[in-house]
Amino acid sequence: MTRERPQLERDALGLGLRVPHYGSLLDHGPEVGYVEIISENFLGDAAPPRRHLDLVRERYPIVLHGVGLNLLGHEPLSSAYLDRLCWLAEYVDAPFVSDHLCWTGGQGLSHHDLLPVPYVDDLIGVAAERAAFVQRQLGRPFGLENLSTYVEFESSTMPEWQFYSAVVEQAGCWFMLDVNNIYVSSQNHGFSSHSYLDAIDFSRVLQVHIAGHSREADGTIIDTHDRAVADDVWRLYAEVWQKSGPFPTLLEWDERIPPLPELLAELEKAAQVRA
Amino acid sequence: MIRTPLERANGSLRVAHESYDESLTQIALASERLGSNARLALYNRQYWFRLFTLFHGAFPLTTRLLSHFTFNGYVSCFLVARPPRHWDSEAMLAGFDEFLQQALPAGTTPIEGQRASIDTLAVLEAVRIDSAFHRVFRAPAFEAFQPSGEHAAQLPTSRLIASPATAVLEEHWPLCELRPQIMLEGGEAARALPPRLEAARHWLLLRPENRLALLPLEPREARLLRLLSGLSVECALAQLEQECPAEKRASLPEATQRWLARSVALGIWVGLEMG
Repeated sequence: MTRERPQLERDALGLGLRVPHYGSLLDHGPEVGYVEIISENFLGDAAPPRRHLDLVRERYPIVLHGVGLNLLGHEPLSSAYLDRLCWLAEYVDAPFVSDHLCWTGGQGLSHHDLLPVPYVDDLIGVAAERAAFVQRQLGRPFGLENLSTYVEFESSTMPEWQFYSAVVEQAGCWFMLDVNNIYVSSQNHGFSSHSYLDAIDFSRVLQVHIAGHSREADGTIIDTHDRAVADDVWRLYAEVWQKSGPFPTLLEWDERIPPLPELLAELEKAAQVRA
Repeated sequence: MIRTPLERANGSLRVAHESYDESLTQIALASERLGSNARLALYNRQYWFRLFTLFHGAFPLTTRLLSHFTFNGYVSCFLVARPPRHWDSEAMLAGFDEFLQQALPAGTTPIEGQRASIDTLAVLEAVRIDSAFHRVFRAPAFEAFQPSGEHAAQLPTSRLIASPATAVLEEHWPLCELRPQIMLEGGEAARALPPRLEAARHWLLLRPENRLALLPLEPREARLLRLLSGLSVECALAQLEQECPAEKRASLPEATQRWLARSVALGIWVGLEMG
């Protein structure tokens, strides 16, 4: 008998699954709509992470979020990486998978960071073709996340949102829209976050990410994921929800992770902000 | 663009403003707040923060014995020579323990910025312990080998294959006891090395039910397990007997029976390599 793939409610609230919360999540089974795992943490054969994954997937739908696809790298996509990703997606029966519209390495080296590209016409086709290929291989929806960035390129001929939208449309894939990243980048580069959001076709948004950020002494904002969501980001999220909701929403918190009740309280703010 | 990041004069990560080639700064746009150099430097700092954090996680004991700053210095030398080349961040850790064996000075290792030093042998022992914990945790699941009557004839001339989810540890300082304390504590300054033990201690590190556990071993038991991993059973027993002082040989057969039975019961063997 074929098991039906878990579906997420369109207004589902989810948490990024992190090691400090395995115990609490499995012992207390809080009501969250789904969890998101960082794909790379589970692509290997290590038994303890696999065991935790097995326990979590008995209770919650699991979506995958990757950082290693290197969609816009010079080299071809890694078939070894893609095979493992497809295996993992099948293993947890993920409703969808996402990664970033970025490059992560080149010339045989990996930067282990999410790096921006110039937004030029020539790259739209490359990105779209690769994203479409990945989606076909996965056999399920594939979303591309917008980055938070600290540099823009002299050679860009269009704004980020135009590039992003063109890639998603041409690929027939989805937006994995990070509202905090839009805010961070808009502050760092001086563009309007509303201009960005106006360009997004929300009927093709798989999920929205929210997260905390930090502000440096010089005013630069860094996407640290190490604290509560800033008020300005909540305001942006509320506007987006009113205009274009519903969509699944996931809270990312990766550093200085608080106890689970505090995380859940932060996630609950999303529900309150929507109301 | 990747530079070693440590400002040895003040024991900190290098300050924000770096100078990069015109070929790089011409590509990146300056913003109202930050020039191109500063924006590129931000990515450089993120790169190092991310990689240092990975190494701290994999070698927590070594990190704190040396202090974060001193440890980071060795990590940066290692990574400048062997930059990451794989999407799997685990791959960049390979070879670091061998590198430290070559890189650490004989005698004592200076702790930078603290006018102190630590016995290099203790640091090397810490690296071995950290590496073992990391390897055992990340090992895949294996089914334990249970010798039966049909193996009786081949057993003496065969080699027992140890599970990668086990390790035999030897320590001359109470580092296995210190490690979990350090992991709970946090902090970046060098942790004082506890006094050297009067006699070496031995442990079996294993992973029952996917949780790490340390079991004390008698010295000769530890030696037997090490010998069994490299020699046939009969050669390992012969070697152990040869090393055993004459006055202790009478009790050796009973002890080795007990230790062998225990090792099988603990599931530390996963197969037999026929002689």
